[in-house]
Amino acid sequence: MTGESPVGSSGGAPGDIPGDSGADRTHGADAQRLARVRRFVRTRRGAVATGLAVALLAGGLGTWATDTWPFDGRDQYCWGAWEQDSGPGVLGDEGFEGDDGRSRTSTGTAPTPGSPRGECRLTVASSHTFSDGDKDRQRTTVRVRYGPPPKSAGQRVSWLGGYLADRAMPLPGGLPGAADGNHGILVLPERCDARDGRPTAVTLDAHEEAADDDRVPDVPDLGGSQDVAELLVAAANKGMKAAGCAGAEPLRVTSVLPELPERADTFSRGPVCRIPGLDVRADLTKETAMRLVYQVGAVNEDLQSCSARIARSVRLGERSDQPLFDAVMVREPRLTRLLDGVATTEAPAKGWRGTGDFAADRRFVRAECAGRPTAFLLLGTPTGATSDYFATFTNAVARRLGCAPVAPTTDAEGGRR
Amino acid sequence: MSDMDRAMNKGVKGAEDTDAEGTDAEGAALTVNAAKGDGAVGAPTDGAPTDGAPAAPADKPLGVLAAAIAAAPPPWWHWRSLRRLSRGHRRRAVAAAVAGALLGGTLVAWQVEAGPFEREQACWGALDEDDVADLFHGKRDIEYSQMDIGYDRIASDGPSGRCELRSPRGHRVRAQLHRLDTRFGGDRDVWADEYLSARMTPLGGGLLGMVSDTRAWLAVPEGCVGRTPDRDGPLVVDMEAGWTTYRDAVDPDERARLARAVVKLVNHYMADQGCDSDLPDPTDRLAAPARFLDEKPDAFCGVKGLRLPGSRESSSYERPMVSSGGGPVRTCDRDVLFGHPKLRLMTVENSRLAALYEGLSFEGGRRITAEGDTKDQVRGRGFLREDMALYQASCQTGDVTFLIRSDGGGRAADIRRLMPRYIAAEADRIGCGPLRLRLPT
Repeated sequence: MTGESPVGSSGGAPGDIPGDSGADRTHGADAQRLARVRRFVRTRRGAVATGLAVALLAGGLGTWATDTWPFDGRDQYCWGAWEQDSGPGVLGDEGFEGDDGRSRTSTGTAPTPGSPRGECRLTVASSHTFSDGDKDRQRTTVRVRYGPPPKSAGQRVSWLGGYLADRAMPLPGGLPGAADGNHGILVLPERCDARDGRPTAVTLDAHEEAADDDRVPDVPDLGGSQDVAELLVAAANKGMKAAGCAGAEPLRVTSVLPELPERADTFSRGPVCRIPGLDVRADLTKETAMRLVYQVGAVNEDLQSCSARIARSVRLGERSDQPLFDAVMVREPRLTRLLDGVATTEAPAKGWRGTGDFAADRRFVRAECAGRPTAFLLLGTPTGATSDYFATFTNAVARRLGCAPVAPTTDAEGGRR
Repeated sequence: MSDMDRAMNKGVKGAEDTDAEGTDAEGAALTVNAAKGDGAVGAPTDGAPTDGAPAAPADKPLGVLAAAIAAAPPPWWHWRSLRRLSRGHRRRAVAAAVAGALLGGTLVAWQVEAGPFEREQACWGALDEDDVADLFHGKRDIEYSQMDIGYDRIASDGPSGRCELRSPRGHRVRAQLHRLDTRFGGDRDVWADEYLSARMTPLGGGLLGMVSDTRAWLAVPEGCVGRTPDRDGPLVVDMEAGWTTYRDAVDPDERARLARAVVKLVNHYMADQGCDSDLPDPTDRLAAPARFLDEKPDAFCGVKGLRLPGSRESSSYERPMVSSGGGPVRTCDRDVLFGHPKLRLMTVENSRLAALYEGLSFEGGRRITAEGDTKDQVRGRGFLREDMALYQASCQTGDVTFLIRSDGGGRAADIRRLMPRYIAAEADRIGCGPLRLRLPT
């Protein structure tokens, strides 16, 4: 910086001083003031003071330019759990779809040791004007909730099923939870359990506000399921700290999601989700059967899901798919803990093994399967005109896991064993 | 205050200008002197300005500070002070400056590990010297050559790269990044023989990869690079470190070395692709390596209930080796010669890996069908040939390949006899049962 040169000259000036007369030749008050400044700078104390000022200024500029404390200038959201540009797409520049009117704000309250429930809503907004004058508005909301699962048994089944079905994949590194591109769930360790024994979970739901002229609703883009996992874990860590149940080591996404969900299958003629006997087409009209789509989610030792739906018909003006059912098997111990107390002590219906609870559009059964308590649940239409989807799913998955049938076996299924 | 700031700014700027002129002139003078020879450098005889810039006109108050500064004694580092040094002093000063610059540059280079201090990063920058030494039992005289990771945009084969590490004693380790080739003549033959052999143990932890003491492979997780189209094979890094000899048991230390290295290579590739999370070191969770199996008479290759009728034939095989630890494949190899088994019974449970055999399952031979197949719905497809039986079934987990193969001839009868029971038993084990096949006549 050039500003340092007077300091240098006053600090170690060598002996011979040529005519010290810059100020003498001037007449204005300005000049006198300047001369005073120069004389001050020449004294030792002045030199020190100026040096200090310059150093402070330089340091300030430096920290400002490099975005470090106290000028780090990065916004924080959701109880300080998330930071701008910290990795997940929605927190970076790519979180904005348009160039104009960008804003990212969050509201909500963190959990406290006294009341271990928290909520936060992050809103990302921007807009974009196309060359033909059309305007596209983005308004993505990400809602995070920290707390116990819903108290009502029915709600709890639908709530958990919603996070495990469709394209959700288990979180990597053994974290008890699942995520897809726009929502996810993570169950916190036992030390965070509520007083009544229910585990605490952190959930994330993203939503994109639909414009009136959209033919199909927009899907929020948070940066992919890996980024959703990162967001979940960051919110869980901050929430646990705020609620006073943080462990010595924060939770971490230790690895990349090893696998991603399969593409939804539209043209297969085989059984839905490759589950033997799960024949949905027979119950549909020829027209709707052609629009049947199924999505195989995770299929492993801890989790399996199968979602069937009727694809929207743009011709008929439908804006979204019509869900048929979401069937889920879960036996990850912490996830199944969320369903404790949902079932009565009785079998859900005649001939079923284990305990459960059946409703018109929701079924739940829990039974011992190959040495582990295993939960099966279905949201949506549980039975077709010719077959019982839930029973077929449950027994097929039980068989895959190597355990006895849970649903009453029909002749056809019994014969297969 | 702001007034004064402005004044100072302007003043300083002015001073700079005049100063620059001064040095320019001096610089010119110095070059002239230098041309005359070394001796003349010291003499300050030329018309270099000694009295600084001309005084500022009095009627420009803002220029006053400039003038004042220009008129001030020059700072100690100024050329004019330098010139006052005697010849000896100047030489010393120059020497000191040169030494200082060299030292500074060296320090900087050392600090950022550039130039001569650059730490050698072998194999696309993934393995540092310690990693390489780990692979070669602590030896540090390892050379390497590589083909950088690049794309073949014409054949659409995906990214690929090669690397080879050599010790002067003749030991070699090769690493390769490539997409498994599911086409005719692709990786389902030689690659599968070596990298899906019974000596391999799965890397575990949800990863798609296996390792032995001479081979290792690991698929790049889909969460980083996205899911490959169903017909394409996964993108893998594989490593080979010498011959596979079936006589010896797998050396766990060697296996751990390769496991660490292949994970490092994949982690480095993922970091290049912008994926932050690293795969953890897998060595702690590796299963015990497979050993030769003393099979019971009714458990050919350790598959319960599988018999090879006619004991004369059965005894013509040596003891089998069956892969351990669960995982993407279950392989039983018998009578392996130069890395190729004379008879292999293999179940490829992982559907991404089973893509290797998808194309083959459509190929010729007498078709195998399953009980319960209808015109519309089939359990899978496959064929029976003299040297091979293959069935690809559609299971809840995805496509699964069952395979019996013989490298030598004269095993057609064995393959035919083993096939239905082997596939039925294996389908039950992996949760894809019941699967009863009908042999082609």
